[in-house]
Amino acid sequence: MERVKGRSGMGAAGRGWNQLPERARTLIPATILILLAVLYPWYHENWLAEFTNVPVIINFPSVSTAVIVIVFVIMAVGLNIVVGYAGLLDLGYVAFYAVGAYTAGWLASGHFQQVSFHFGSAGISRDLNGIHVNVWIVLLAAGLLTALAGIIIGLPTLRLRGDYLAIVTLGFGEIVPVFVRNGDNLGGFNLTAGTFGINPIDSPGFGEGLNGAWGGLPVNFQQSFIREKLFFYAALALLLITLFCSVRLRESRLGRAWIAIREDETAAAAMGIPLMRTKTWAYALGAFFGGIAGAYYASFKSGAFPSEFYFNISVFLLCMVVLGGMGSVWGVVTAGSILAWLNVEGLANIGTYLKRQTPLDFEVAKYQFGIYGVIIVLMMLFRPTGLIPERRRKLEMEEGVQDESVYGASR
Amino acid sequence: MNVFFIGLTNGAVYGLVALGYTLVYGILQLINFAHGDVFALSGLVAFSVLSGKFLGITSDDSMVIIIGALLLCLILTMPLFAVGNALIELVAYRRLRTAPRLAPLITAVGVSFIVQNVGLAVYDVEFYGATELLPRSNAIEIGSFAYQWNKLIVLLIVVPLLVSLTWFVRSTRQGKAMRATAQDKDASAMMGINVNRTISVTFALAGALAAAAGLLFLLQFNMRYDTGFQLGLFAFTAAVLGGIGNLSGAVLGATIIGLIEAFNEGLRWGHPLDGAWFFPDVGAPSDWTRAVIFGILIAILVFRPEGLLGERTAEGT
Amino acid sequence: MLQTGVRALVERRTIANANDRRRQVRKKSILLALLALLIGALALTAAGCGGDDDGGGGDAAATGDTGGDGDGGGDVSELPSASCEAMVYEGEGSPDVLIASDLPLQGSSRVQTVQMVEGIQFVLEQHGWKAGDTNVGYQSCDDSTAQAGKWDPGKCSQNANAYAQNEAVVGVIGTFNSGCAAIIIPVLNNAPGGGVAMVSPANTYVCLTEAGPGCAKDEPDKYYPAGSRNYTRMVAHDAYQGAAVAQYAQSIGIESVYVLNDREAYGLGVAQNFRNAAESLGMKVSGFAAWDPKASSYEALFRKIKASGAQSVFLGGLICENGGQVIKDKVSVLGPNAATPDEGIVLLMPDGFTTQATIDEAGKSAAGAFSSVAGVPADQLEGAGKEFVDSFMESSGAEPPLEPYTAYAAQAAEVILAAVEAGGADRAAVIQSMFEFTTTDGIIAPEFEINENGDPTVGPVTIYVAAKSFDTQEVVTPEAELVEAAKGGGA
Repeated sequence: MERVKGRSGMGAAGRGWNQLPERARTLIPATILILLAVLYPWYHENWLAEFTNVPVIINFPSVSTAVIVIVFVIMAVGLNIVVGYAGLLDLGYVAFYAVGAYTAGWLASGHFQQVSFHFGSAGISRDLNGIHVNVWIVLLAAGLLTALAGIIIGLPTLRLRGDYLAIVTLGFGEIVPVFVRNGDNLGGFNLTAGTFGINPIDSPGFGEGLNGAWGGLPVNFQQSFIREKLFFYAALALLLITLFCSVRLRESRLGRAWIAIREDETAAAAMGIPLMRTKTWAYALGAFFGGIAGAYYASFKSGAFPSEFYFNISVFLLCMVVLGGMGSVWGVVTAGSILAWLNVEGLANIGTYLKRQTPLDFEVAKYQFGIYGVIIVLMMLFRPTGLIPERRRKLEMEEGVQDESVYGASR
Repeated sequence: MNVFFIGLTNGAVYGLVALGYTLVYGILQLINFAHGDVFALSGLVAFSVLSGKFLGITSDDSMVIIIGALLLCLILTMPLFAVGNALIELVAYRRLRTAPRLAPLITAVGVSFIVQNVGLAVYDVEFYGATELLPRSNAIEIGSFAYQWNKLIVLLIVVPLLVSLTWFVRSTRQGKAMRATAQDKDASAMMGINVNRTISVTFALAGALAAAAGLLFLLQFNMRYDTGFQLGLFAFTAAVLGGIGNLSGAVLGATIIGLIEAFNEGLRWGHPLDGAWFFPDVGAPSDWTRAVIFGILIAILVFRPEGLLGERTAEGT
Repeated sequence: MLQTGVRALVERRTIANANDRRRQVRKKSILLALLALLIGALALTAAGCGGDDDGGGGDAAATGDTGGDGDGGGDVSELPSASCEAMVYEGEGSPDVLIASDLPLQGSSRVQTVQMVEGIQFVLEQHGWKAGDTNVGYQSCDDSTAQAGKWDPGKCSQNANAYAQNEAVVGVIGTFNSGCAAIIIPVLNNAPGGGVAMVSPANTYVCLTEAGPGCAKDEPDKYYPAGSRNYTRMVAHDAYQGAAVAQYAQSIGIESVYVLNDREAYGLGVAQNFRNAAESLGMKVSGFAAWDPKASSYEALFRKIKASGAQSVFLGGLICENGGQVIKDKVSVLGPNAATPDEGIVLLMPDGFTTQATIDEAGKSAAGAFSSVAGVPADQLEGAGKEFVDSFMESSGAEPPLEPYTAYAAQAAEVILAAVEAGGADRAAVIQSMFEFTTTDGIIAPEFEINENGDPTVGPVTIYVAAKSFDTQEVVTPEAELVEAAKGGGA
């Protein structure tokens, strides 16, 4: 990131820029980006929303689209820990998303009618049956439970490497949806409500205590006309925390161990890095963010449904990581934002635009996964380091610090 | 007994697809994700060839014409997909031979989506099937056991294909080159084997087998653009179960998977007579087929990555 | 390889150590800076919330003003173009309020839903895009995805929130699938402004509106978190259909039946209703099982059914859940669909299969299958219904017979327009007047009203038989007792 910025600054300004301490060169653009993001609902409402006929994209992403985009970016950043940092190809990340979403379903809805448990839930009538825990606490619980799921999946499988690991994760990614689909009758116990899904799930809120504070914080997001904005700010806060953790993790002892494993597993082991423990940490932490994002998304959509958790989502997230540059946090954020936006409304809008403006009757949104496929293939063939490569990763790719290649694998 | 033969027939189709995985893995150590989708696309193309504008075969035509049309269809689609699959290798995988190992795998996932979307673009989300083309009358009937024509034809096509494939790999020059390349590419190249051509031939073979499987599947079941993903995974499981890289292992694994599927769906595990003493009541067993098969996949990879017939490789442990 | 790897690592470590102290200092300051940023962001969040809330309140007031008299001409913002077609409005001035339809416009249901959209537009046109003094714009939204070819829970929830947040939307016509309705109803029920009115032309799952022994304990209350109702439907629920099909089955001499379902809200519900009705008529239910829409073959399943000796099979589910293959395998294992149990095994299907798509996908195997739809067939409608069918066919050039749900979509549009006429742009008032709807000149029946649950007071069910298209076989009016029995107990 800093390198790219550094180069783009030309002339005197560029020289001045380069004289700034490295920290400032990272923080200034980051601050600008964060400010732009924080102010988005404001300038969207007052300025961008007026454009309803923008060429190609028709309109600027609405605030509710932005929420979904952020949720997917959080997941991609989580996946980046597993794939990018530790070099473990995970084709079943959707399983973590599902676990997170269902945790929200279990802890913040009327699903378990047998009991009535309320814990700090905001704006939920005390008369309602079911478990209603405050959604903020649920997010944390979802993260922890998903991390636990990551460890459980990881322990038996992480001693495999490379493509076998990828297939095993894919297997888990396929089993979890089957499980939630059929989990309405586990020996007579209804755990997941089957194809009906758990619906509705509680919204976060500020509760009675803060009701009306600062000019009208609502008790519950759902009953407010600014629901979308509230969800947006909360999501943005989650994203910032995720990014912060992700960047710090990379620089930490653990993060360096991951990168060592990614570059050469055998050498890393020889240097005394505990392979299993380090890899399991990558799984658990990657899963943690997937779980939080899944739970938050379930709360935003107010439901969790088995048909949402399919393989394509795993590939979609992988595509964000590949496009952005494996291991590069800023790359993943950039690519994730673009792809998630395309997924939610971009492609559909482009299709509508083409239909309106050209004789071409091509439903772009229908072929979204084909388009992601093309992106993946082109990136792997021509720019395997991604759009915004991580410096170290780039060196690996170019100078050939690598595990056995397909050809070298003849044993 | 009937259930057994349903399983065997399904297993035969999985086997053809599983062979494609195993051939490619044997030579490149690459899990060719796109293979299942190539299979599905070939089935859809076979539908176009058989029906409508091209041949326009209906079940009212005489048996001779139908069988002739099926053979003609095979003659058309097998070379077509052989070339197609070889082209995929040329365009998408060849450049990545020296790249880190995960690069071609990720590319394969991408190619899989592209092939799937070609199917989606041409055939939309409709289901297609030519299940009524062959008579469903019983070919063999002994007591309560019956075997229908439309199933028999699967075995009638699969068995000769397997025999000729075995002959090809064992006895021809090209087959020997393939085995040599699988063992050691550098050494083979030094011995004067054209490695690139050998790999292309392998992909072509896999594509041709997939096309045959596509037609056979079409005769039994409805299929649409995304049928190949799940079936491909089943077939891949079969290949792993049998020991990936091992030809007879793939066929054995596929048979086992087919049988597991059929028995899981055809018997009443939850029923007092069939197994309630052992299995808890978890709803209809057929709902769990996919979970069972992927569970097997995981268990095999974790505990016996070399499969039933394979040799231990460094992939495990 | 190994050696170079180790050396690389050692080098890296040394550098890491050298940098350690500097890093630690840096670490702390970065931490502080980010913390400050976070706090700043939170403060901004709070400030933003306050400011925006005022704006929101102002907008609400503005809409309230224009709502009363339509002549002012409101400035409604359209629903997102990602899932909705552009707004249609051909009246004078500009629309004051929006109504939306929420239907799966891709996949197997497309044949039906496209005609439903045309039906709704036709009704709006007849009313001159006006409900009383209020100008009404219309947007058709899609709750399906092209990849799945059927409704998608994510899209349903996305659409629901879009309706709830767009203040101009006062009514939603939909959904087609009960599973999608279960997602949309609670969001619209809890929507700001007192909730959004919703009229479904096609949902038949009982527990959306009525509690009963066959429903989960919290149904239907969980769909109405605000505590009041906002949802009505134009079609009699599945207890009627289940009872009528069972009654018809008995009349042709069926004594035993095997019941299958696709495990979706709708499919499982109708299968249970049918089973209950059949049991109360003294039929033997030989089995109750599910089919997995992702399976490629159901032969093993049908062999099991063959072994059970059932005289008929009931398919509770939708054609888009791989129903075509289910029907094909039924025929291939159990023989062609018979008209009576003496001739072979009878196939009974609910309205999830009553569409041309079934005949297209199942091919010859569909022939002879019976299917049902609550209500009178389009060609037997009288009065306003006949008028609608005739004029709609003429203007749209649709091939007869009309898809069974088109008339219901038109009726739903009539109900919404009547409610908007009374309630204007006030969401709560629209809901209230929707529940007060009565007619003596309705499309689907000459006289009917909506009860407090939101169900219509009409009850006949038509049995169709599949040939080149679905032909009317018989109109059955189920007995009240049997309908009660169909709601039934047991899970």
